[in-house]
Amino acid sequence: MTRRRAAHPPRLPLPGLGLDDERGARVARRGTLSPCTPCQEPEAPGPAFPSCPEGRGALRPPSLRDINECRGPGSFKLPGGGAGAEPPQTTHATPRRHLALALPRLAVERLGPGGPVLVWRGVGARREVVAVGGVEGVRAGQALSDAQAIAPEARAVEEDAGAEAALLERLALWALRFTPLVALDGPASLPSPPSHQKPSPPQGGRGLGEGGAGVGKRPGKPPDTLTTPALLLDITGATHLFGGEAALLRRAVEGLACLGFTACGVIAGAPGTALALARSGGAGVVPPGEEAAAVEHLPLSVLPIEPEVVTALSRMGLRRIGEVRRQPRGPLARRFGAATLHALEEAAGEVSAPISPIRPLPDFSASREFLEPLITREAIDVAVAALLRALCRRLEEAGRGARRVVLRAHRVDGAVQEVAVGTGLAARDPAHLGRLFAERLERLEPGFGFDRIALGAEATEAMTGLQGGFVRGAQETEDLARLFDRLAQRVQVWRLAPAESHWPEREVMRVPPTTGVLVPEGWPRSVRPVRLLRRPLEVGAMALLPDAPPSLLRIGKIGHRVRAAEGPERIEPEWWRARPDRPGRDYYRVELASGVRLWVCRSGFGAEARWFVQGRL
Amino acid sequence: MDPDPTPYPLPPEPLPMDRPALLAALRARIGRLERAGAAAALARSQAGVVSLSESLDAHLPGGGLARAGLHEILAGEPGAAAGFCAVILGRTGGPVLWIGPDPDAWPPGLMRFGLSPAELVLVRAPRPTDGLWAMEEALRCPAIGGALLSLSEIDLTAARRLQLAAEAGGALGLLLRPDTEDAGPSAALTRWRINALPGDSGSPHQLGDPRWQLDLLRCRGGAPRSWTVTWRTTTDRLDTDADTTPAATPRRRRA
Repeated sequence: MTRRRAAHPPRLPLPGLGLDDERGARVARRGTLSPCTPCQEPEAPGPAFPSCPEGRGALRPPSLRDINECRGPGSFKLPGGGAGAEPPQTTHATPRRHLALALPRLAVERLGPGGPVLVWRGVGARREVVAVGGVEGVRAGQALSDAQAIAPEARAVEEDAGAEAALLERLALWALRFTPLVALDGPASLPSPPSHQKPSPPQGGRGLGEGGAGVGKRPGKPPDTLTTPALLLDITGATHLFGGEAALLRRAVEGLACLGFTACGVIAGAPGTALALARSGGAGVVPPGEEAAAVEHLPLSVLPIEPEVVTALSRMGLRRIGEVRRQPRGPLARRFGAATLHALEEAAGEVSAPISPIRPLPDFSASREFLEPLITREAIDVAVAALLRALCRRLEEAGRGARRVVLRAHRVDGAVQEVAVGTGLAARDPAHLGRLFAERLERLEPGFGFDRIALGAEATEAMTGLQGGFVRGAQETEDLARLFDRLAQRVQVWRLAPAESHWPEREVMRVPPTTGVLVPEGWPRSVRPVRLLRRPLEVGAMALLPDAPPSLLRIGKIGHRVRAAEGPERIEPEWWRARPDRPGRDYYRVELASGVRLWVCRSGFGAEARWFVQGRL
Repeated sequence: MDPDPTPYPLPPEPLPMDRPALLAALRARIGRLERAGAAAALARSQAGVVSLSESLDAHLPGGGLARAGLHEILAGEPGAAAGFCAVILGRTGGPVLWIGPDPDAWPPGLMRFGLSPAELVLVRAPRPTDGLWAMEEALRCPAIGGALLSLSEIDLTAARRLQLAAEAGGALGLLLRPDTEDAGPSAALTRWRINALPGDSGSPHQLGDPRWQLDLLRCRGGAPRSWTVTWRTTTDRLDTDADTTPAATPRRRRA
């Protein structure tokens, strides 16, 4: 309902975009880059950015873009769900296709435009250059002091592995527009740096990344192509949406160029082949079955193998993948390990490991792209409602209901914002899901607008249709589940179910509100308070005899005479769960002279006994 | 032959001298007019009023606490008020939401007052606006039996909203507030004040059944009154003491 563009400058600015530009300047700049505008369709007629200020941000009629609803490429994983419109794919017969996008200049391009730059990294006591931008005569691997002597005007920036990993992940989210199966491959995916969790402190994050990564084990060597960060996309079954593999590759590379990143993209059958070719700087499409020939002449350094192995092989005169592959396998495996052989086979496309996607594959999805970015809340609401209708129709055709729906809004500057809602029972009513999203959509920050909105049902359950009013009580159950869903978007909702414990705080446990609660016979075993104080209140107590019930309670500074008391009820701690030194408790139910009833306990015995009020009866 | 186009049937013509019957019929008719908004919800739920006990029901208009309405409870003593709320909510016969900034309702104890954990759902709404929103959403849902909102201050507009929501959904709403000197105007149908009384066991080693002082401070279509009641835990009954005072003082007694 509010135009948020003016109030909220875009968060998460990606570098290289000149986000401080005015919108008009930005559009003009994108106009000059029109061949690689990510939202421009090759077949879309007319100018890429028609100038209609009154229609800016409004939802375009669907004729401009087709609604792209597709089961993901992995839809075969759901048996019985394939009532979709596309012909049933026998995926065992369909060879998989992968797109690798290597980003060789990510370290430099992360910093955005603006003058020559030297990115350096500390290796021991030495500072060496790892990436160079806009400087002639300097190569990676030189000492920083040498490089600064050659190019004194260049800015020296320390490498920030955490920021690079975070940026790579953001780009991977951006790439979700091509296929739901996107994986990271590069330094970020190696089992090293938790550094993107704390991106700000550069020293701490770097030290961690150095120590744990395989990257840091090569002092003095120039960083080779293995460290080139790359994205790996499983595009099986998604290419026809973009007009073929070549068109998809072109769109991906041009889209990254628009965001300010140089990318080398290769499509091949095996992920290893595509990655090796992309890291070597290649570009193009490898036809199925020609993977081995394609990697024949590549240097060994593009493979994910130890650099010592590369060095040893090159001493024998084996510098290219084809040369090594012609050697007998047995001695090779004995000398250099199975991992080396495996990497070679992966590059040649003989074995293919499944990729691990950054986001789980949605069972059902619906997405829509917009020529004109959406800025206003009204336009976003209309778009989300249309997508929800499409998604729910597909869910209904498959006889399933969604438990978790994720909305991804792709901003024109490449950032992706995610909003997720969950439901207590499987649901496929667009109005209900729309109400759940209505609260959360407030958090979106459109900035310059969203050019793509995608909905994915990430968790679904079988859901049979209910005929209204036929099953008695079914309507109430559904109404109640919807109420809990709506409440859970804003506040915490839970039930307290009886638990197997006699320790007072553990007599009940929290369960989700939609689960049924069974009350055992004879529960509770004793009189319990109606209100349990979150923090027991320590009080003073006086008793006539050491083990007698209290006759006077001092709460704060006021003494209260006890009219009657029942007890004690001794409760010993659960030794299998609690701390061993936890004292037992004696509980009394007391009634003060005013009629107030309290649940009082004495914790500990003898001299160290302390008195608490724990609840109200 | 009656030219009056009123949708409500006129009461049968009473005898001219039967003033009590005439007044009762008129009162019933006004009650139907006032509760016209809740008529649809009440007809849908097919559940009558929430009955408390014979003498309380006899005094309340409609013979009990009306559903599809909001009732306000001033807690003179928090424990007794929670018990009384549990008695009411347990008798609504449906799922019950207990909404508060930090809901400390403890099901093992509420079970004694007839509210089963199977029916109780707790909602934590830290801010008052969240609590009011959650209460309104809950009251608009036709599937619940009752909802309780625990808060300290409420303005007339918010209370009126809750009352309208209850009329739309058909549930019984309770506003649990601390007892203050001047509780202000209210949009609720009734306002009660609960205080704890010493038990009548007579033994210092036995608490006996809980006894409460119930003050009906305000009642739409009824008169204020006070009772001294005892909750019989063994029979799940609210027993009224015979020595009830005829009318409560509208002002709070100075302690």
